[in-house]
Amino acid sequence: MAAAADNIIEARGLTKRFSGFAAVSGVDLDVRRGSIHALIGPNGAGKTTTFNLITKFLAPSAGEIRYNGEDITNESPARVARRGIVRSFQISAIFPRMTVAENVRIALQRPLGVSLRFWRSEQMLSALDGRVDSLLEAVGLLDHRDEAAAGLSYGRKRALEFATTLALDPELMLLDEPTSGLGNEDVDRIADLIRQVSSDRTILMVEHNLSVVSKLADKITVLARGKVLAEGNYAEVSTNPAVIEAYIGGED
Amino acid sequence: MMQLIGISPQLLFGQLLIGLINGVFYAMMSLGVAIIFGMLRIGNFVHGAQYMLGAFCAWWLMRLPELFPGLGLPSLGYWWALALAPLIVAAIGALTERVFIRKVYDLEHAYGLLLTVGLAMVIEGLFNVAYSAAGQQYGVPASLRGGINLGFMFLPLYRLWVIVAGVAVCLATWYVIERTRLGAYLRAATENPDVVRAFGINVPRMLMLTYAFGVGLAGLAGVMAAPIYQVSPQMGQSIIITIFAVVVIGGMGSIFGAIVTGLMLGVIEGLTKVFYPQASTTVIFVIMALVLIVRPAGLFGKETVAAHAADVSSARPDSILENGRIWLPLLAVIGAALPFLLDPVFAMKILCLALFACAYNLVFGYVGLLAFGHAAFYGAAAYVAAFTAASWNFPTELAILSGVAAATILGALFGWLAIRRQGLYFAMITLALAQLVYFYAVQASWTHGEDGIQSVPRGYLFGVIDLNQPLNMYYFVLAVFLICFGFIYRVIHSPFGQTLKSIRENEPRAISLGYSTERFKLIAFILSAMLAGVAGAMKAIVFQIASLADLYFMTSADALLMTLIGGVGSLLGPVVGAIVVVTMQKEFATLGSWVVVVQGTAFVLCVLFLRKGIVGTLEGWLATRAERKRRGGALAPPASLRSAH
Repeated sequence: MAAAADNIIEARGLTKRFSGFAAVSGVDLDVRRGSIHALIGPNGAGKTTTFNLITKFLAPSAGEIRYNGEDITNESPARVARRGIVRSFQISAIFPRMTVAENVRIALQRPLGVSLRFWRSEQMLSALDGRVDSLLEAVGLLDHRDEAAAGLSYGRKRALEFATTLALDPELMLLDEPTSGLGNEDVDRIADLIRQVSSDRTILMVEHNLSVVSKLADKITVLARGKVLAEGNYAEVSTNPAVIEAYIGGED
Repeated sequence: MMQLIGISPQLLFGQLLIGLINGVFYAMMSLGVAIIFGMLRIGNFVHGAQYMLGAFCAWWLMRLPELFPGLGLPSLGYWWALALAPLIVAAIGALTERVFIRKVYDLEHAYGLLLTVGLAMVIEGLFNVAYSAAGQQYGVPASLRGGINLGFMFLPLYRLWVIVAGVAVCLATWYVIERTRLGAYLRAATENPDVVRAFGINVPRMLMLTYAFGVGLAGLAGVMAAPIYQVSPQMGQSIIITIFAVVVIGGMGSIFGAIVTGLMLGVIEGLTKVFYPQASTTVIFVIMALVLIVRPAGLFGKETVAAHAADVSSARPDSILENGRIWLPLLAVIGAALPFLLDPVFAMKILCLALFACAYNLVFGYVGLLAFGHAAFYGAAAYVAAFTAASWNFPTELAILSGVAAATILGALFGWLAIRRQGLYFAMITLALAQLVYFYAVQASWTHGEDGIQSVPRGYLFGVIDLNQPLNMYYFVLAVFLICFGFIYRVIHSPFGQTLKSIRENEPRAISLGYSTERFKLIAFILSAMLAGVAGAMKAIVFQIASLADLYFMTSADALLMTLIGGVGSLLGPVVGAIVVVTMQKEFATLGSWVVVVQGTAFVLCVLFLRKGIVGTLEGWLATRAERKRRGGALAPPASLRSAH
């Protein structure tokens, strides 16, 4: 299948109903390998639900999801993550009482396949310290490596979460509003990071900040009321009358 | 009448009737529990005690002239009691909500259950002190004496009344909740309490009235039960566990489901009494296990959003009190000296229970799972070790291993059934499964019922060391304790332990990193069951007895209490907690029934004022002091950043 080689994700007819109300209905989504793909849309458009469906945190009511041509519609979220689809969360997802270094290490530890070894000392994990430090350096957190994650500022927590996600070297990275709640300086830093890490992977992101989207995204899918409203690059989407009406005109 | 496959119709219909009546009480009670759980997120363990309170209120009203002689008060009969007792119980419930329950709304759900367990112990303990175990008679009201002859059976009028009135009350409750405006608010609050808060309704009062209403239903059930069962302090104690099982079977979120499930299970229980009487006490729990396999959300339950493991740990990972490399040798030295300072038997009791609490802490403290059935592992290991040593003449170490193996298998089974459910559900399921094991032990022949297995030989360790020598026995227990303590320390400081920590702190994130968190939780649960089994098997050998008390839910509560007093999730907490609780039990032993009251009070006080436990509080204090010193004696804000969460 030629299409499968080009598209890392192919979703068909994706639907999620919550007690009668369809948060997402009949969404088709193709994510091209190696691209930065943004999902945008007004509040309640179903962006985060779509994310949860792709990462299997929610089970779809109908539809099919293929990853690298393989059907992953009925897999568990942990299994999907092990296949290389790693997500971030809207509210920064860190392990608050673990140190900054431990946060990253827990991600690095998983592919080693030693996580069930309750009889081994955690000293064995110190072999990962080099990689922990280089990841922390990449996001500017090396100076904070031994602090408890809970004490970091919000911007740094997001950076830590990013480093943790990156630690798994995911083939497909799903970022749920990576810049929300950040100051301008932090927004630019995260945007730079996203561009950097996108060189050898695919990124699917939900993002509200349209200037970030315009700078980063190769392709944009606009969702409204759980359906795909438009698709294309920033120039195409931003001049689409339906989009202007439903999204830009509606919100601003 | 014809005989129906060897069963006389009198027996069949008689038991069906009893089953239906039990079912009415199950329905009324599980309705109250479900409403309180749905709206307040409180697993109201004190519901059984409130049911008992209803019955006693009726009895008191009847005896007003004797209770208050000289005041010329009239004796108020059944109909007065039916009107007044539920109101009195509801008023007590409102007060309870105001003084206690309200304090834990914003805390992890575990604390609500712990608080109500404590309250139940206090109330039932006090009644035990006042009225002892003996039941009081409460006559059937004159207007409902007699009965109707249906030809195939005699139907007492009072029982007919209970069925009709009980079902009517259930349906009325259903109508109010499903069909009125008030009910709409309640249901909205069940699904999303925050939204209702935003409506500008007086939420605190609404919560109080909801609690009072649920409790009033229990009181009403108590009054209606008084003429059928004896009015006794114990009448509510075991019914609450059955009610929890009914709630699990019915599933959350359906009022109608709670009613139907209650009635249905009562009838099934009645039928079991006819066809297979041995299973009548366990059938509800077996059904619960089966339902969990087939429909984890319950028969009428809606798909629920999975709540995740809760972080209730009070420990500071960098505290000196968490460093096992210091404490393991230190405990070894203290332990070695102990028999010269204390009675070795007393010291062994502390060691066994400390190990039990450490095992429990592994799931509650380190994984954040509120397990409430560890008595099953402790008790099963005690029974199996005692049986194999006494009846099969197993050498001591093999008997202990058999007990541990039994606990481990049981742990795997419980864990497999319960691990997908979280929070209060996990507590209810483990509690009900443990009750199943308890009732099995009551009935099985090899466990010798009330007597338990006595005169268990201590035997010779490795065939040479005579364990009848108290010091030999003591040092063997100490060695086992230290090995297990070291093992637990290794587990929590292993790659596995790191993963458990991440699950406890943020389970969705751990899943998104590719961890199949259920498998990790299950393994931790099995390890915990195994270690609880070690404690139970050792106990059987040391005290040469395995008894029903080892399996009773109070033993599970003990594990919880020890962990809570000492400090949940801390290394030394369970050990300190065991010392406190065992000492307390010894000191108050002469007070008889008061022990339960004291223990219940300890529960309540811990939940309200000492949630970090002794060790957790100490660690916080040490950290604050270190911080202050670091800042050169200046007044410092409390503690390091680790406490921020």
